[in-house]
Amino acid sequence: MAASLRRHLTGYGFILPWLIALVLFIGYPFIAGFYFSFCDFPPLKSPAFIGLDNYAELLEDAKFQRSLGVTFIYAAVAIPLGVVLAITLAMFLNARIRGQSFYRVIYYIPHLIPTVVVAILWLWIFNPKFGLLNIVLAGLMNLADAWTGLFFGLGAETPGQGFVRPEAVALLAAPALAAVSMGRLVPQWVRRRPELKTFLASVAAAGCVAALVAILNAALHFGLPVDAKNLHSPGWLADGNPLPSFASFAPSWALWALIVMSMWGVGQMAVIYLAKLQDVPVELYEAADIDGANWAQKTWQITVPMISPVILFNVVMAIIGTFQIFAEPYIMTGGGPEDKTRFVAVFVYDQAFQYQRVGYASAVAWVLFLMIVALTVLAFRVSQKRVYYAGR
Amino acid sequence: MRGVHVGLAGLIVAVFLIAWLETKPALEDFDPVRHAAFKDTWNQRVHLAYWEKWGSFEADACQKMVDTFNEVQNEIFVHYLRTSQVDRKAMLAAIGRDPPDVVGLWNSNVVPFAEGGALMPLEGLMKESGLTRDFYIENYLKLGEFEGHVWALPTAVMTMALFYNKEHFRSKAAELRAAGLDPDRVPQTIEELDRYADVLNEFEADGTPRIMGFLPTEPGWFNHTWGYYFGGRLIDPETGRITTDETANVRAYAWIKRYAETYGREKLLRFKSGFGTFDSPFNAFIEGRVSMEVQGVWFPMFIRRHRPQMEFGVAPFPSAAGVPGPRSVMEQDVIGIPRHCKHPKEAWKFVCWVQKEGIAILSRLQGKNTAIRNPPAWFHQGHPNLELKVFEDLALAPESFIVPNTLVGQEYRDEMNRAFEHIWNWPVELEKKSALEGLTGAARQAKIEALCREEVARTLAEVRQEVQRQLDAKIARRRLQPGSAD
Repeated sequence: MAASLRRHLTGYGFILPWLIALVLFIGYPFIAGFYFSFCDFPPLKSPAFIGLDNYAELLEDAKFQRSLGVTFIYAAVAIPLGVVLAITLAMFLNARIRGQSFYRVIYYIPHLIPTVVVAILWLWIFNPKFGLLNIVLAGLMNLADAWTGLFFGLGAETPGQGFVRPEAVALLAAPALAAVSMGRLVPQWVRRRPELKTFLASVAAAGCVAALVAILNAALHFGLPVDAKNLHSPGWLADGNPLPSFASFAPSWALWALIVMSMWGVGQMAVIYLAKLQDVPVELYEAADIDGANWAQKTWQITVPMISPVILFNVVMAIIGTFQIFAEPYIMTGGGPEDKTRFVAVFVYDQAFQYQRVGYASAVAWVLFLMIVALTVLAFRVSQKRVYYAGR
Repeated sequence: MRGVHVGLAGLIVAVFLIAWLETKPALEDFDPVRHAAFKDTWNQRVHLAYWEKWGSFEADACQKMVDTFNEVQNEIFVHYLRTSQVDRKAMLAAIGRDPPDVVGLWNSNVVPFAEGGALMPLEGLMKESGLTRDFYIENYLKLGEFEGHVWALPTAVMTMALFYNKEHFRSKAAELRAAGLDPDRVPQTIEELDRYADVLNEFEADGTPRIMGFLPTEPGWFNHTWGYYFGGRLIDPETGRITTDETANVRAYAWIKRYAETYGREKLLRFKSGFGTFDSPFNAFIEGRVSMEVQGVWFPMFIRRHRPQMEFGVAPFPSAAGVPGPRSVMEQDVIGIPRHCKHPKEAWKFVCWVQKEGIAILSRLQGKNTAIRNPPAWFHQGHPNLELKVFEDLALAPESFIVPNTLVGQEYRDEMNRAFEHIWNWPVELEKKSALEGLTGAARQAKIEALCREEVARTLAEVRQEVQRQLDAKIARRRLQPGSAD
């Protein structure tokens, strides 16, 4: 008994420093914040109880509603995009190739760089005039325009011409047709020469990509002329207009910039996926191979279900992270332009430290906390039937 | 095993012991090198902590002022502690009941600090020390006042004027004359400023500006004050009501929007993204990217620092035709004494000396005008700001203005910045733009303004409603606060 008690005491002794810090620095502010949320509390005065007034004000505060909108839009775009990108990256990193460890390290390194450094680095990348991104983007867009111009009449530059140039489209038809017919209509003498078959397949694939670029670019120019024009040299962090421009609820260019930037740290998520990917039994793939499953079928039927617990974990972490995002918008945009990057966490900071409204900031923080809990519960509920746990 | 336990425990004890025995640095610590001149009187002096902003030569000026004070008497020693984000740190120190003895803030901090009881009222002390209202230029004193009390007094002041690049004016002299403008004088009205700007503009082949005659977004620090140059105001001084969307303000922001639409928002955005930071040779005005700019009294010092040979002139920024001038927005840095500071009596002695003698030293070395009505004769002798007279006249001009202190000053400013960004960025619909076809010159500009006026008015009305709501709510909440200033 004495030995058991001693063991317990030793255990508690070890966690005691952490426990004290938890109670003092997290527990107390957590409870105090809840009380302050019912108070008017300029930090230089004592809190005065005002009941639910702070929460009522939230309902009519346009600035809060805007910041909530920004946070939700960001979450709706950045989280799925991050998950897809991380899984894709993990699958590449999982390939058995020379220099595998090197690539893994390279893709993980960005996660180790402090947020402030990353934010300042991306400020330069997003510079509309000298930024690396716009220089590359302008080159690509000009190339796509020149290519598309061969096939489609682009606006006022080709007056009197039809929208589609039939002779040019015919050029695209050949490789597209080749792509469709690959495998069936290829003559025997080609089939017997794999290097020739590979070459023709590459030509067909390149033709399809070129056709896709031309069609998408033409659709962009005719459907969304303002966006097509902006894509040549976006204002990024300084532009508060939505993309696409017809949807006022769409992320602004500035928010898109932060979404693009958030992909910088996707390597960390990828490493977690990678760990799980390596855990997927090889026998499952072998069985699928015997059944004649192709790559897409194997990915969708085996890989995704097997790594689904990790997807759930990453999504939950991303939800929590998104609702706490602060440093990047604070450093890069200060919440602007036009509040289009004023995330809820920035709003909380402004209220507490800029406008000296600790009570109101606490109310917002508590609403934020409840939202994170609700979304996490929702993520677990939705995933209950879709997440596969091998142990159960 | 036992040895490991002893080693670890010993390490912990050693760390705590070192921390315990380490003497905390104190203001009173004597540095034999830095404080050699004060060796004899060091221990008999009261040591004051003075938290203040500034960097570069402006910090040196502040240090010089403090050094002078330390030299002219032997009762007090002031330690100038250069502090970034001094307002936030002072606020936290006040909350922790451990504020500095003297603090330097911005005039926009006066209301939140005063309202929270973080500053001592000074009017009684001023009376005892013979500091009267007429000692100051009235508007500067008002910036430190709130609800009938003086909470902070001026240090460095700000007035704004039009800076123009004489080289650009000279190189375009023929074109200016052809447009009926005199290249040897500056615009007298905003309408004339537009005409000058139009001639001074230069563009690349794709229409992106190379030089802009005038750009309302540069430097973009006082976006909330444009209405005043059109005869508008942000607050009704009689009723205290918010007046953001009164006609003159709508006119001002429609005028700003006209620049965005005339020269193209995207092109201007690209143009602006090539500007360097304010305190650098790549500053848009210093580099010659913008020919005319509204800037403050400090600017000549920065121009001469980075491009000593630059030929520039300074004149009052023009008002719209029919609006009396000259006029300038007036703001300032202030100095105050936090409540619960350790040495309030000595702190006042320092603040009082700063008012009577110090700000003349500070302002002269920082190249600025002062808040005092009659500075000493030596103040003007060899003053480094050769354009000082323009700013001194503006500070005394009857039409120069301050934005009155309110309970929601910071919120109002932020909302105005958001409105400014919206007005600048808001894309005028393509079908509306087709109404501009065939129009040129003044007719085109008038049409652009007309097309934008509705959205400008709506945006400013939105600001008025939001700020008024916040003001009303704050007034209501104040009544609930025990010990409020009511």
